[in-house]
Amino acid sequence: MNHPEIWMLAAAGLFGLGLYSLIIARHLLRQLIAIKIMGSAVFLVLVVTAGLVDGSLDGIAQALVLTGIVIAVAAIAFALALVVSLAETTGSISLNPDDDDGR
Amino acid sequence: MVIDVFLALGLVVLAWQALIGGSLFRGIVMFIVFGMVLTLAWAWLGSPDLAMAEAAIGAGVTGALIMIAYWRLRRINAVEPRDPSPARSRLALVIAVLATGLVGAIGLAAVSALTGDATAARVMNETLPDTGLGNPITGVLIVFRNLDTLLEVAVVLAAYIAARAALGRESADLPLPPAPDTPLLTPLVVTLAPLTMVVAIYLLKAGSQYPGGAFQASALLAALGVLLVLTGRVGPAAAANWLTRAGLVIGTLVFCLVGLGMLVIGAPLLAIPGIWAVYLIEAAMMISIGLTLVLLFAGAPGLSGKRS
Repeated sequence: MNHPEIWMLAAAGLFGLGLYSLIIARHLLRQLIAIKIMGSAVFLVLVVTAGLVDGSLDGIAQALVLTGIVIAVAAIAFALALVVSLAETTGSISLNPDDDDGR
Repeated sequence: MVIDVFLALGLVVLAWQALIGGSLFRGIVMFIVFGMVLTLAWAWLGSPDLAMAEAAIGAGVTGALIMIAYWRLRRINAVEPRDPSPARSRLALVIAVLATGLVGAIGLAAVSALTGDATAARVMNETLPDTGLGNPITGVLIVFRNLDTLLEVAVVLAAYIAARAALGRESADLPLPPAPDTPLLTPLVVTLAPLTMVVAIYLLKAGSQYPGGAFQASALLAALGVLLVLTGRVGPAAAANWLTRAGLVIGTLVFCLVGLGMLVIGAPLLAIPGIWAVYLIEAAMMISIGLTLVLLFAGAPGLSGKRS
């Protein structure tokens, strides 16, 4: 890993894109994808800033991110169950309050 | 340098494609491609463990979960939200640019900061041979920081329970797409099912010395389960039988019992007595996480032999 700066810039871009989409998107699935991409940006920052230890990537950072990847899929699965349940109950796939007031 | 730029730029462009504009279906497909490119990025950065986990869990299982939720939402025929208002997107742009600058500044400062000699990772690398393990990541997950891993298995179990609670009793069986009716299906399943199991158990075994481990193995088993559910070989059941319940909790249970058993023989809590305990805990975790992910995909409390 010779160019950590490139990965930091990519992570910053991914985080910004994710946050932008999280704010403007109405569809809950799109917002979940945005959160997932922001999470991937954080994982990149964690692993790349930990850097090399004795010639290989920092094992503790890798293990931490591996745990994070599994927790992320569990959280997404729960969020998707909530979205499907919300759509069944209310018939809407959006959480924005101004969808209901006729504007 | 060229490959770094190529992969990093690819990630940003794919995230753009997944998030901004276009249909939602296209966004989901782009998100799965994003996961595959992130897999390549992990491999290029030098972490085959993360690459395998990202391919199987980040892109594979997450993609399948989002896709099936999309299909269910289409079936429910819920109202699609309208386009965002321009005022909202102007404010979002400012916030997003500020966040990008913040993450970039933190990241660039962190990579140029000097680190001391005695980092936790170096101490871990020195102590790793004493445990009999060769893969530092398995060492951290099961031996050095196993409280994190125990809580992680508990979080996965909690996600299943919470998803059941959110879906309620009436929608015990969420709809699933009809199984495709083609004679090629049986040869596909009978070829892939045993192969996937062999590869999963190999990953579990290899994980002690080489890249691999319980998480990658459980993701492979979950992928097999998703295939079996989609082809109708396994169907959702209205209630979990004792075998399913046992499979769901075995990871947390075995981990807790080994950890508490150490107290009985006078060792510290969650000390790992030997490499056999690593395999025991990892095998139990593999079953629990794999089964939980399949049940979350099926959207059902349990599984039955065949879908009617």
